[in-house]
Amino acid sequence: MIKLIEKIVYFKPSFTLRIIAGLIAFALIMAACLLAGVIDASSNGLAKRDEAWAARGIEQGAKVYYTYCAGCHGADGRGIDGKGPAVSSQTFLGKVDENGVQVTASERMKDLKWQGSVQQYIEAVTASGIPPSGAFDEIHAQWSNRYGGPLRDDETKNVATFIMNWAKAPITDGTIINAPKPGAGAAPKATAVPLTAAQEAGKQVYLKAGCTACHSIKGLAGGGAIGPNLTNVATNAEAHLKDPTYKGAAKTATEYIHESVVDPAKYVVPQCPSGPCLAGVMPATFGTSLKPEEITQLVDYLMTLK
Amino acid sequence: MAFVGKRLVDQVRKTGVKATIAQRLDDGFTRFTTGISWNDVRGILRGDPPPKPNSRVYPHTESFWFHIRPTFYHEATTSLYPTFRLGLLSALFFVLETITGLYLMVFYTPSPERSYQNMLDILTNVPFGSFVRDLHRLGAEVMVVVVVLHMLRTFITGSYKKPRQFVWFTGVVLLVITLFLSFSGYLLPWDQLAYWAVTIGTSMADAAPVVGPSVNLLLRGAPDIGASGLLRFYLFHVILFPLIGFIFVGVHYYKVVRYGLSLPPHLEKPGEDSARKVPPEKRVNFLPDIATNELIYIAIAVAILAIAATTNYNAPLETHSNPLVTPNHTVAPWYFYWLQGLLKIPNVIPGIGSLDPFFANLGLTPKVFWGVVMGPLVFVLLFAIPYIDPNPSRRYSDRKVMLGMGAIFMVGILYLSGAGIPTGVPVTHFGFVGGSPASELAQEFMPDEGESEIVALPFEEMVVGDHEARPDANVANAPHLTALLREIGNDMEHRKTVKDPNGLLLSPEATAFIRIAQVQPEVKRVTIEVNYTDEKGAAQKYTKDKFVHRDADHE
Repeated sequence: MIKLIEKIVYFKPSFTLRIIAGLIAFALIMAACLLAGVIDASSNGLAKRDEAWAARGIEQGAKVYYTYCAGCHGADGRGIDGKGPAVSSQTFLGKVDENGVQVTASERMKDLKWQGSVQQYIEAVTASGIPPSGAFDEIHAQWSNRYGGPLRDDETKNVATFIMNWAKAPITDGTIINAPKPGAGAAPKATAVPLTAAQEAGKQVYLKAGCTACHSIKGLAGGGAIGPNLTNVATNAEAHLKDPTYKGAAKTATEYIHESVVDPAKYVVPQCPSGPCLAGVMPATFGTSLKPEEITQLVDYLMTLK
Repeated sequence: MAFVGKRLVDQVRKTGVKATIAQRLDDGFTRFTTGISWNDVRGILRGDPPPKPNSRVYPHTESFWFHIRPTFYHEATTSLYPTFRLGLLSALFFVLETITGLYLMVFYTPSPERSYQNMLDILTNVPFGSFVRDLHRLGAEVMVVVVVLHMLRTFITGSYKKPRQFVWFTGVVLLVITLFLSFSGYLLPWDQLAYWAVTIGTSMADAAPVVGPSVNLLLRGAPDIGASGLLRFYLFHVILFPLIGFIFVGVHYYKVVRYGLSLPPHLEKPGEDSARKVPPEKRVNFLPDIATNELIYIAIAVAILAIAATTNYNAPLETHSNPLVTPNHTVAPWYFYWLQGLLKIPNVIPGIGSLDPFFANLGLTPKVFWGVVMGPLVFVLLFAIPYIDPNPSRRYSDRKVMLGMGAIFMVGILYLSGAGIPTGVPVTHFGFVGGSPASELAQEFMPDEGESEIVALPFEEMVVGDHEARPDANVANAPHLTALLREIGNDMEHRKTVKDPNGLLLSPEATAFIRIAQVQPEVKRVTIEVNYTDEKGAAQKYTKDKFVHRDADHE
């Protein structure tokens, strides 16, 4: 073994051997370059890698979609009633063939008189949001980091590509929540009955006092998911009064809501949007921080939510 | 005929047309070769001994490129031993990186908005783009190895000793430049690998007392790496470091001409340097022997590199960098593992006791001491070696202490490098950083970045549904999935019975699943789920998921 190593490290190639070895090595370099270039070109290496990286872009887009979009547009893109419209429907996407050529035009783009492609529309709305139609309670965020959102440009593009990937087999049947046609936007449902001046003042108290940090009301923008949803609070109040574990002093729904505002510990509703409600989460300070007439207006307003 | 020179006319009259043309052509040829005539080239090819006077040394005075090479080597230095041609290879890689780097520069913009897309374009739209990028990346990695080996060789043969102390000094500068070049290039693809490796690297600078935060701010251009940091690293990578590198390569090469290649230690008396006093019969001329020798070494090295780049090696490219998401098990580049290992040295060392009083005496925190004092001290030590080694002899038998210390140093660096990676050193587990056994199990088969065994399953074998990972799992018509489920099952059983280096066990009733859901006709969502009981007895679930497209070529 040592003899062999000695032989190698003390070996001095003859001139002829050097020429031959050099030529062979040079030929190998050329062969490698041929492999890299010519064979790559003849086997569509570039095109194949292009396809693979485009597919990986769709994977990244899927990640974005299921992180930020699926909550309102649905896991299968059918839309969610009251939250957001369908993005995988043929009405919205039209239909594209295997090569990505649009074969059926998008009705939605026609309605909107959108001049660009569907993909461009998705990118634009994802990035910069869209004026609310009134049919959905959620307002589309400006997701692009150009406007303060979390998404980089490549993510905006990838999520649009992922959504467009539905256009090869767009959804045409089953539940599809389509966006209303331009000008046909539905009025917010929860506050359909016009509010009186006192109730309107109560709504302002609701907004001003920070209730939206934890509570949501359908039809009102924003709203948290920590405390109970108040969309039907007037109806629910009646039910809570009948709960055998209810130990408060209220006899009517109005009294119950009033009590819940000023002394929330009296009764804790069992179910909140993100799990069982916890005692002591709602501040017990509204009885002092709000004026008595403000509390009355607030209760008036909440009593309209049946 | 007035425009034809009189001398030419005279020459034609005297020697005839044919001889005149031959003489004039040879004249031009000799100018081109800076002194070697056509006849001498023929002599070289025939293997004739050099003419007298030796015209083959003329290029060493006439030509720039030859004047930084010696005119002759000692016969004993022309075999593989003692140099192993590592210096030549280092220089070759420097040139190769420059050439491939220039090609990549054409298609690259240092901007967070565009760099990653540029990388995709290089891979998918630039002819030879993937090949050149592979060459550049592989070349950079190999260059670090070659440069370190070159230094190691110089240390072992004692070639840093008088009169070559300063050659060694410039060599250490070049080692640092090589590391910095490689490190600065690491950031440029702007993927997760790049972003987090460089974040970790630069945060070491941040720990330095007084100047640390300023240095860090200068490097990054902002508290975090962003547009400014990328631009700065790009400029370091393509201008500053190559410029310093070229200057020091020039100095390094000139010093070799000045002092000659050191002979194998056994040929010299201790303390003597006879590299420039080579008797004529021992001389091997640079032209043609050394030059052709070097050419084949270069050709062979390039051929190996080119074949590796076309066949097995693919330069990594992970997902787009994301400052908000730190991938699990993020590491610095491998040549800085030892620095990460240094930072993991515990404050209480068994047998020695607590180091806290020592740090308190110094007034430094352990992180500053290990990362900022000891790390750079390694390089200070390297710079100082020729000036502090009192032993004039280069013979191995006279240098047992120094060679022993060198061996201990190398073992130490390797050991610390092992400690630098999340799995730690094998056997002793020094440096192990792991999460819960459940997260480690998921990480093993579905790492946040890089190749994942689950994602690499053939797409058609990703059978939609929930599959429990058990040693006896079986899914019909999906041999790869079955094998993987069994592998995960076995790994899980192993984690239930053998404690990890943190002393943690996976709870005995733990179960693991691979859940596969169809998202779109060509897209599936793959989830790995580990259900276990934590130390407090609470049921826990650890999940991780990835989306897989049929055409994404993860296999």
